[in-house]
Amino acid sequence: MMRFILRRLGGLVFVLFGVSVMTFFLAQIVPADPVAAALGTNAREAQIEAYRRQLGLDQPIVVQYIRYTGRLLQGDLGASIRTRRPVADDLRDFLPATVELTIAAMLVTILVGIPLGIVAALRRNTWIDAAARILALIGGAMPIFYVGLLLLGVFYRQLRWLPGPGRLDSTLQPPTTVTGLYTVDALLTGNWPVFSDALAHLVLPAITLGLYSTAVLLRMTRSSMLEILGQDFVRTARAKGLSQRLVIGRHVFKNALPPILTIIGVIFGSLLSGAVLTETIFNWPGIGRYATTSVTTLDYPAVMGVALVAAVIYPLVNTLVDIGYSLIDPRVRTN
Amino acid sequence: MKAKRLLTFRRWIIPWIVIALLVSACAPAAPGAPSAPEQAGAPAGEAVTRANTLIFAADMTDIITLDPAVAYEFGGILPVGNMYETLLSFSPGETELQPVLAESWEVSQDGDMWKLTFKLNPNAKFASGNPVTADDVVFSWSRAIDINKSPAFLLTDVCQMTKENIRAVDASTVELKIPGEASPSVCLSVLTFTVAAVVEKAAVEPNLGDDMGESWLNDHSAGSGPYVLERWERNVSVTLNANPNYWGGTEPAMKRVILQNMPEAVNRQAAIETGDADIIQDVGPEQAAALEGNPDVTLVKGLSTLLVYVAVNASMPPFDNPDARQALRYAINYDNIITLLGGNGELVQEIIPIGFAGHTGKNPFKQDLEKAKELFAKAGVAEGTVIPFTVATGTAPGGVEWATIAASIQADLAQIGITLEIQQLQQSELLTKYRAQELPMLLMNWGPDFPDPDGNATPFANYEARSLAWRNNWNDPQAIELSKQAAREIDPAKRVELYAQLVEYVQNNGPYAILYQPTQIFAVRNNVEGFVYDPNDTPSISLWLIRKK
Repeated sequence: MMRFILRRLGGLVFVLFGVSVMTFFLAQIVPADPVAAALGTNAREAQIEAYRRQLGLDQPIVVQYIRYTGRLLQGDLGASIRTRRPVADDLRDFLPATVELTIAAMLVTILVGIPLGIVAALRRNTWIDAAARILALIGGAMPIFYVGLLLLGVFYRQLRWLPGPGRLDSTLQPPTTVTGLYTVDALLTGNWPVFSDALAHLVLPAITLGLYSTAVLLRMTRSSMLEILGQDFVRTARAKGLSQRLVIGRHVFKNALPPILTIIGVIFGSLLSGAVLTETIFNWPGIGRYATTSVTTLDYPAVMGVALVAAVIYPLVNTLVDIGYSLIDPRVRTN
Repeated sequence: MKAKRLLTFRRWIIPWIVIALLVSACAPAAPGAPSAPEQAGAPAGEAVTRANTLIFAADMTDIITLDPAVAYEFGGILPVGNMYETLLSFSPGETELQPVLAESWEVSQDGDMWKLTFKLNPNAKFASGNPVTADDVVFSWSRAIDINKSPAFLLTDVCQMTKENIRAVDASTVELKIPGEASPSVCLSVLTFTVAAVVEKAAVEPNLGDDMGESWLNDHSAGSGPYVLERWERNVSVTLNANPNYWGGTEPAMKRVILQNMPEAVNRQAAIETGDADIIQDVGPEQAAALEGNPDVTLVKGLSTLLVYVAVNASMPPFDNPDARQALRYAINYDNIITLLGGNGELVQEIIPIGFAGHTGKNPFKQDLEKAKELFAKAGVAEGTVIPFTVATGTAPGGVEWATIAASIQADLAQIGITLEIQQLQQSELLTKYRAQELPMLLMNWGPDFPDPDGNATPFANYEARSLAWRNNWNDPQAIELSKQAAREIDPAKRVELYAQLVEYVQNNGPYAILYQPTQIFAVRNNVEGFVYDPNDTPSISLWLIRKK
């Protein structure tokens, strides 16, 4: 097990190296000048030159890359051209919001997708199945921005049941930072008004972000369950006189789980990229919105920082999924 | 049995949730990272309620600092200008200087230097309760020069201020000397801007750190203005509290002001409709139409200080010929562009915008295709000439796509047989080419760096300043001389007269066709009173004058 994890981590180093090379040189291909973009129309030549020198952008590309990698190896992501703050500080401020949103969307996905998929498979061709399939169809077909605007329009502007964009009502003070996740921090500090407000603010963006993946997971669970349900050992289990619950819980679902787990790993990655749009619509101060602003202002150090974070999270989640495999399937362990 | 089954199921789900939580726990704040900034304490007196809290929503993605010596973005100037004060200011609608921290000032000649002497108001005090002294002024200006960030050039280049020439004569007198070729009028205008705001030396000096106090001032305020900083949540909001020790006449009615960053226009519209925001900025043409009939909301229009203009390169054919430039000015259908803007722009055809001393209000050009054709012929520009016309991608000030305005001009010139080849570039890329004097014809906007006619006159007219005239390769000795003369003049009336001459000269000879001055639309809830927007002032919105019914 340990060797497996170490091997994975070794692979991660290569992925990170690849991502840093790619983002760095992609940034060089774009014809626009980040310094000119950062300083605006009125900036004087001397100012632009001075800032370019300060950032080291007057050096040859190879030198720039060596410096960048050198800093990176020391854990320094460099300073943002736009905010002039260390990129690491920006990420530290904005990542928790994205993580909180992604986890909430993941919960929506798992809590709706899996049970509904199971029920749809068991009650195949009934109205429940039909309803689940329609939900999967709608969820899979509606673009995120449309879902977001629709939900905001109905539940915030019309019905006023739920709060609008943002993480917290602007009159409330965020909880003391422990994890950076408002709901968790509010719980830890026993700050109930903030907890309930933060939770209410999470509902719409989490549904928006999670809708598509719920559809995917629902379909996957349903088909995986159906496949196992048709197998001989299920018939045998039933023939032995095991109760329906035991057959489904222990024999069918357990065997249907590996592909579902794979999908969950993939979904986590897609949620992170989907967060960019959701964060824009819901004014959610996460790294998705940070990435958008950074791209439009040609803030390459920031863009590279976000890319690296994504490059770490994605393989990490996949490794966790693989560990999950070995927990459910002993065959994976022995291999 | 049942419990066991449940356990079996839990075995799969629980690890996953644990994993998810672990990922989240690993991600955020490293140990020892600073948590929320120290609180400045609730404002004294009245408790903060929604009724005495003002929520102002705008796209404030551009805020990168709250240090007055560093701030140079629209989003940052608003809170900074309400927390800090300068020696003097412009009041809404006025082009004459008003006293703030300085109760009086005097400009005199001292050898070949100008001497500006400021007498501080003895009542002026910081939010800490300490008096504002000449020492604080010297400290603040010297600090802005040393820190040398974006706005520092206003002091060092425009005002030509050096640290050696700033002196505290006594506790309440500051003396500033600037070189004879600098302009005292321009310098006084520059001193109304936040870069010249006064910070409390005793508060900042112990917190200089390794960045001259910038990081400290991002989370604390040390000014004498009507508001103090409660907290700045990056990318989310800036919360200000009323200064309990405010020395100025008007006590802020709003005990708390929340400046909410809301980049999406749709979200701002929803916020003003639901009352989640009291004022929103940057209402686009669509939002304005949607809010027009709303009984709870009033639209307030204010002119920006920007000018949108067509520029041509005066050393590239065909516009190296003054007649061709004049022909272009007669060929454009200005009214059509104003119509496109749907009320979001005012026709202005001169280099000094409305609201500035020296603005003449003369718009001599109206589309006259016959005359344009004649002038082009006189300049030797044949029908069928093709001219590359570069425009930025995205939206121009006033809410219309740059490309749409360009297409309107393209259609105008097509009528007289001149083909404009529109090329779209990302704005910063366009700027880089513009700066390299590579563009024959382009569409752009300009906003002055400081609230003085010189903030436009020098860039537009003085080639030596290496700004707009230089970018367009227009080296005209008469324009250069006039702009210098006007900048140096200390008699306001004579100055206005010189600017009128310069405006007319550039209007007819320069490499520009000025198109319009865009407006800025705000939507304000009907229970809000006292909201005024004046872009010439720093801050352009005086939060302390806003009340609620």
